[in-house]
Amino acid sequence: MDTVDLARLQFALTAGAHFLFVALTLGLATLVAVIQTRATISRNPVHLGMTRFWGQLYVINYAMGIITGLVMEFQLGMAWSGLTEFAGNAFGSALALETMVAFFIESTFLGLWIFGWDKLNRWAHLATIWIVTLTAYASAFWILVANGFLQNPVGYRFDGNSLHITDFGAMVANPAAMVALGHVLGGAMMVGGFFMAGVSGYHLLKRTADLDFFRKSLRVGVGVALPATMVTATFGGLGFATLQPGKLAAWTGDAERAAEVQAEMTALHGPGYYLPPEEWVRSSALAMLILFAIMFLLSGLNFLLMLVRPVVHRFRAWHVLLVAAIPLPFLAMIAGWIFREVGRQPWAVHGLLTTRDAMSPISEGMMRFSLAAFAAVFAVLVVINYWLLARAARRGPDGVALGVRPAEKPEPVPAF
Amino acid sequence: MEIFILAFFALGYLVLAGADIGVGMALPYLGRTPEERREVIAAIAPFFLGNEVWLVVTAGVLAGLFPKLEGELLSGNYPLVVALLLSWVTRDAGLWLRGRLTGRRWQSWWDGAIVAGSWGLALSLGGLLGGVLVGLTGALAVLPVAVLAALFGAHGLAFAALRLRGEPRRRAAALSGGAGEARTYALTASALLVVGVLAGLRLPLEPGTSGAVLVPAMLAMMPLMVAAQGWVWWTFRHRVTGPSYL
Repeated sequence: MDTVDLARLQFALTAGAHFLFVALTLGLATLVAVIQTRATISRNPVHLGMTRFWGQLYVINYAMGIITGLVMEFQLGMAWSGLTEFAGNAFGSALALETMVAFFIESTFLGLWIFGWDKLNRWAHLATIWIVTLTAYASAFWILVANGFLQNPVGYRFDGNSLHITDFGAMVANPAAMVALGHVLGGAMMVGGFFMAGVSGYHLLKRTADLDFFRKSLRVGVGVALPATMVTATFGGLGFATLQPGKLAAWTGDAERAAEVQAEMTALHGPGYYLPPEEWVRSSALAMLILFAIMFLLSGLNFLLMLVRPVVHRFRAWHVLLVAAIPLPFLAMIAGWIFREVGRQPWAVHGLLTTRDAMSPISEGMMRFSLAAFAAVFAVLVVINYWLLARAARRGPDGVALGVRPAEKPEPVPAF
Repeated sequence: MEIFILAFFALGYLVLAGADIGVGMALPYLGRTPEERREVIAAIAPFFLGNEVWLVVTAGVLAGLFPKLEGELLSGNYPLVVALLLSWVTRDAGLWLRGRLTGRRWQSWWDGAIVAGSWGLALSLGGLLGGVLVGLTGALAVLPVAVLAALFGAHGLAFAALRLRGEPRRRAAALSGGAGEARTYALTASALLVVGVLAGLRLPLEPGTSGAVLVPAMLAMMPLMVAAQGWVWWTFRHRVTGPSYL
């Protein structure tokens, strides 16, 4: 591996880990916000308990999302200064708006939601989770505007050295961004829906005492997963219309079209290899489509079974199936992400800047060191967090620390 | 206006996050028993999430308004930025994970991560400020590192004195003596602002070309962001009366 490959691996590990946690964050935040809305209106103890239990799992997962997100924020400038110098005046604005409109507000209000549980008025507390959810969507929006620009640059001018914005509206409305947004948000709801259905299935399998609690949760999860699967597929289908010619040629195995792309790019940019690695593109797309077919059938089946109460309570083979299906949308997300990102190689900004030219002048030794350090830290934290998530999911609603009322409560004294 | 926006968030980070980083650095001094340490962490728990994002926005402002400088600053100081990020991750992991299990060894391990990560953050930020911005090299480069670490520590103690009760509060106030807790906080905050401004004056601050699009949107967002931060301070304006969620 040369230094560029090491830098790509470092970016891929950070972005890939971040993407997996963010997908569950987006899905669960929405479900928790909806459940808390019901709980706030009804004051039903089952709904309140559901808010705290699913909220706790959301927070455990969110912690990893934010930790990988912090590193993501600095990765571009650190390892890819060729990209920020060349295209920062264009797509950097989307990154900047993401930090302000989304990351900042989301984190600040998440703090209020977690620690303000018994301090805020219940309607104000409900508002904080909705703000957290909507800003999580805003985050996905701006990140995909930035990514869409790299996939399909629009609304810019080239002054001979670097890119500049000419039409910000066109940059935001970029079909490579907006179609991807629908696809990713649908995927996130699938992740959240399958997760909620699977964890509920586990407790029903264990013949939980909280029957009502997990029957309701299962219905939310399954009820969301089916429409989410259809939305994801619809936007995914639309996405095939905006694929780069090289990616499309690799996916369809069209050697003639591939040769055309290679000839066209060589004429424009001089000698070089301008096609993505076909193996990666084809196997990731295939994995994504097969997983989708399985999940589509499963969500339809789940939806029908969910309507029959004795089945929900006692069909143990189905409960096992629900648990086993939890990883499927995660795998599909990663496969789709590999298809999108590996498929645009060798370009960092499609047709304008190659990945090789985008890299910072970092020595190989330094890159090896940082890659090893980040990979080791992330690996440990990912394992610990998924173990804690599984542990908290297994323990059920009794062991939840989030939103627990303090035992003794002396009268608080103002500090400021 | 671009420079004002960058300065606003960078200085905001130093003052706000400087306090919770300082408390993390002083955790073994402020909290001698596991119970005390948990209460010390409760002093910063509701704040650290909303504080650390000021540096995230600083990076975002650099990416949008100063893309050339962003690349030069972050890739030119690669080892220091890697150290900063690893410290940040270690510290946040410690804060999030310590309360997830009740075992003593688990909690002391993650308390250690909080302390090490907080020191790592202070030292690497000091290194960035010193090496790059003030331009010191050789043995003298240690000076700004030590100054920033000392300032963060003092600022953290001042914040802890405002938020804590009992024995930890008395320990936190050791530095300020009888000067008054709020006045000490104001003093350390001003010192951090001065350091930040001095360092910023040395940066080649030439904005890129996105200002016409970005600056109005950013100026519109800023009052909302300040209001959100204000709501956090208002909600958690009382002294800590027991352990928090973390």
